[in-house]
Amino acid sequence: MKDLKHLYYFENLLNEANNELVRQAQAEGKKCVATVCENVPEPLINLPGAFSVRLRAPRTGSMEVGTYYLTSFLCEYTRALLERAVEGGFNFADCMIAPDGCSMLNRCVENMELLKTMDKEKFFFDYMEIPMKCDENGLALYVLQCKNHILEPLHKNFGIDISDEAIRKSVEEHNKICRIITEIGNFRKELKPRITGYEFHIITLVSFVCPKHLILDKLEETLEELKTREPDAKEKRARVVVVGSEIDDVDMIKLIEDSDAYVCADRFCYGSLPGRVPIELNDKEDALTQVCRHYMTHSQCPRYMNQDKIQDRRKYVAEIAKEYKADGIIYEQMKFCDPWAYERMVGSTVLHNDFSYPVLTIDRPYAVGNSGQLRTRVQAFVESMEIKKIQGGAANE
Amino acid sequence: MSKVPGGKNLGKLYKPGRVRRRREWRGFKDTFYDYTRWLKIMGILAKFIIKPRNIKAFFRYRWMCNYLAAPMMLDRHTQGLRGEYLRIAHTEFDLVMEDIALLLDNVFKADKRIGNDEKLNKKVVLCDENEMTVFMMGFPTLKGLSRETPSVYVGVLLNQFAACHYLDVVQEYGLPGDVCPMPAAEAGVSIEDDFPILGACAIQCNTTCDGSLMGNGVISKRLELEDGVPCFQLAAPLRHREDDVQEYAAQEMRNAIKFIEDHTGAKWDWDYYFECAHRVNESTKARQEWLDMNKTEYPQVFGSNLALYTETNYMAICGKVKAFADADKKITELARKAYDKKKRIVKEYRHRAIVWGVQSHYYMDFLIWLQNCWGIIPLTDMLSMVSTRILSEDDKEKALYDMAWLNENMIMRNRTHGGYKVLLDELWQFCEEFNADMVILWEHMACKALDGMHGQFEEKAREKGIKLIWVGHDLFDPRIVSRQGVRDQVNQYMRLVLNEEPIDPTLEILPDEQSW
Repeated sequence: MKDLKHLYYFENLLNEANNELVRQAQAEGKKCVATVCENVPEPLINLPGAFSVRLRAPRTGSMEVGTYYLTSFLCEYTRALLERAVEGGFNFADCMIAPDGCSMLNRCVENMELLKTMDKEKFFFDYMEIPMKCDENGLALYVLQCKNHILEPLHKNFGIDISDEAIRKSVEEHNKICRIITEIGNFRKELKPRITGYEFHIITLVSFVCPKHLILDKLEETLEELKTREPDAKEKRARVVVVGSEIDDVDMIKLIEDSDAYVCADRFCYGSLPGRVPIELNDKEDALTQVCRHYMTHSQCPRYMNQDKIQDRRKYVAEIAKEYKADGIIYEQMKFCDPWAYERMVGSTVLHNDFSYPVLTIDRPYAVGNSGQLRTRVQAFVESMEIKKIQGGAANE
Repeated sequence: MSKVPGGKNLGKLYKPGRVRRRREWRGFKDTFYDYTRWLKIMGILAKFIIKPRNIKAFFRYRWMCNYLAAPMMLDRHTQGLRGEYLRIAHTEFDLVMEDIALLLDNVFKADKRIGNDEKLNKKVVLCDENEMTVFMMGFPTLKGLSRETPSVYVGVLLNQFAACHYLDVVQEYGLPGDVCPMPAAEAGVSIEDDFPILGACAIQCNTTCDGSLMGNGVISKRLELEDGVPCFQLAAPLRHREDDVQEYAAQEMRNAIKFIEDHTGAKWDWDYYFECAHRVNESTKARQEWLDMNKTEYPQVFGSNLALYTETNYMAICGKVKAFADADKKITELARKAYDKKKRIVKEYRHRAIVWGVQSHYYMDFLIWLQNCWGIIPLTDMLSMVSTRILSEDDKEKALYDMAWLNENMIMRNRTHGGYKVLLDELWQFCEEFNADMVILWEHMACKALDGMHGQFEEKAREKGIKLIWVGHDLFDPRIVSRQGVRDQVNQYMRLVLNEEPIDPTLEILPDEQSW
C-alpha cells in the first residue's frame, strides 16, 4: 500500500514524551496534565486551558535506576517511567494525576514524588481511588474522586474552568477524536484492509499522547486519505485480536504483522477498543457523572472484580473477534503485571474452550525490540491457525 | 538443653528429615507443662479424626495431610521458650489450633462431598482468607467459614511444602510464577477442584493486593458459576486513610450485609454486633498494652507470640469468640508478671528490631530463630501494627464506618495500600517509638507494593542510621528461597557487616530443608 501521508510525522511524535505538539500547546499557555492509567477520564483533563498526556518512555534502554528503586519484580513500564522521570524526561509536565489502578503504577508515581523528579513551580501529584466494581456505589466514588483529585486541583492550581459547560465542550472534542479513530478502525474489518494494524496502533497512540486540538486536523486528513486508499492485493495469513496490557512499543504490533498476521483489533490498555468509544451525553444529568459512568461501564480493566464484569470482559473479546473477523486471539501481558497475568490465564482458557478461538498467550518486556523468541511464537501461532483453516477446524468460521 | 531462657545448643535438636531428633528439655517444670500441652494438641487431633466424615475428608483433600504436622508446628514456635513466654505461646497457639479444628469440622460437616448437612449449609457464609470478618459480627445464628484458611494458609504454616503442588497446578494452567504465591495457590486449589463445596453465599474481598483481587476471580468462577454459591465482592478502597473514600467503604459494608440477609434469611443483630465490638475493643486495649511493654527494656509479648495470634484474633475472630477475649486477659496477666520480674526471653538482647514487610509463611518461626541465634529481639512486626481505633459500642451509624474502617485496615493491606506514608514513613516512627536500632525487612519478592519501595527503604535507613537487613523469600514457596537461604541473609549481615558471633552457633546452619 502507498504510505500514509502523515505516518512518518506520527511516528516522530511518538519518539519522545515531550513531543513538538506538547511543546506547542504549552507555548499557547495550556497546562500539561500527565497520567499513567486509562482509568483517569481524559475529558476531565482536556478542559479549556489544560491537556492530557499519557506518559510513555519511548526508546527505553537501561532501566538500572528504576530497577534499583522498584526492584526487578515490577513491570518494565513502571521501571521505564521512573527511569525517564529521574533522567528529567517528564519535567515538561505541570502536574500528575495517578489512580491506584495497580500497586506498581502507584509505587512508580510515589517514587517520582519522593525523588522530587518534577521541579516545575506549582507542580503537584494527586492520587485517586477508582472503583473496583461497576455499580452505583462505584459510580458515586468515581464522581467524588474525579471531583476531588482532578477537577478541584486543576481549578485551584491553574484556574482551569471545571464547569459542566466546560466538561461538555471537552467531551465534544474528545468524541471528535473517538469518531475519527473508530471510523479508521472500522477499515480493519475489511477482508482486504486498507490500513495495517501497525499504522492504526501509531494513530491511536498519538491520540493519547498529544494535545487533542493540535492533532485533530492530521487525523481527519488521514481518515480522508484512507477512504480512497487501495489495499494490498495479498492478504495476511491470519487475522488476530491482540488483548492485554498496554503496548507502548510500536515494534510489538509490527513484529506480529511481520510474522504475517494482521492485527485486526486492539483490546489492550490505551487501545481503541473500548478506549475510543465516543461518550454520549444527555441533558438530564450532569456531564461529570455521565463521563464517569461511561468510563466505568466501558472499562475492560481487569481490576474490576465483580463476576458480571469479569464475564463481560471475555464476551467482549469474543464479540470483537467475531466483528473484526479474527482467526485467533493473542493474549499478552507485560511481564510482572499481576492483573493481566490472571486475566491472561483465565481469558485465554475461556476464549479457547468456550468460544473455540485459537489463542496464543505471551508475556513480554516493555520494549520488545526484535525479540526472536516472540517472533518464533507468533509465527508458529500463525501456522497453526493456517493449518486449522485448511483442515476446516476453526470452529469460529 | 537447660532451664536457661532461650535454651542452649538448640541446633542439635535438628536432623535431616521431616521431624526433629527429640523434644527439648526445658527443666522439669517447663518440660512437664509443655508435655501436657502437647497431649492437649494430640487430644484435639484425636477428637477431630475420630469422626468418620473427617477421615473421609483426609482421603478426599490432599491438603489435609498437612495437619499431621500440627504438633511439630507447635514445637517450632516454642523453641527456647521458658516460663511465662512458654505459657503465652501455648495459650495462643493451642487456642488457634482448637479454632482451626472447629473450622475444619464445620467445613466438612457442611461440605456437599463429605457431610452434606443441608441445615448447616444454609447458615454458612463463606469468608475470604485475607478478609476481616466484621460483616459477620451481627449474625449470631450464621457461621462464617473460610475454605482458603485451612487448605492453604494454615497448611503452609504446618508444612513448608504444602502449597507447592497447587502452585504447580496454577502455573501449568498458565499463570506466571512471578505473582504472589498465596492467591496463586488458592487459585490452584480451585482449579484442581480441591476446595470443599458449601455455603449459602460467599463474601470475597480485594483486601491484600492485585494478585489477591484477581485470584478471587478464578475462585468465584467455579464457586458461583459451577457450584452455584452466590458471591459478593466486598471492595475496600485502597487509599484507606483518605476521608473521601469512607462513605464508599461504608456503603460496601451495607451492601454486603444486605447480600447476606437476602441469601440466608438471617437478620443483622445490633446487640450481638455491639457485644463483639466490645470484645474487639478489649483485644485492642490488650494488644496496645503489650506493644507499650515492648517499647520498654523488658518486652514481653513479641515475635512469634505476637504475630500469628494478632493475625487470627484481629482478622478472623473480630470479637466473635469469647475464648479469645479470655486468652487476651490471660496473656496480659502473664506478660505483666514477667514484666514485673524484669524477665527476658533469651539471655542476651543485642538488637531491638522492628520486623517489617510480609513474612515468609513457610518459615513463620524465623522470629524465634532470630532471638535464639543472634539475640535480635523482634519487638513488633508489620502485620501486628494494625488499627487501634476503639469501635463505637452503641452508635449504629458510626458502627458501619467502624466496620468499613476495619475492613480497609485488614492486616498487611493497611500498610501495603494507602500510599507510601503508611508503609515507609510510619516504619521510622515505630523505630523511634520502640527504640529500635534494626529493621528486619522481609522482602516477599512477588509483593509488588513492597518491592516498589525497595530503594526508598534503603535510602531512608541509611539516612537514619538504622541497620536494615533484607530477608528475601517467596512467601509460600521454599523452592525459591529455602529456610536456610532465609537464615543465611541474616547470618551474612551479622557476621560480615556487624562482625558479630551468634549467641547459639548451633542454630546458624540447620538441616531443615526437608522438615515440615
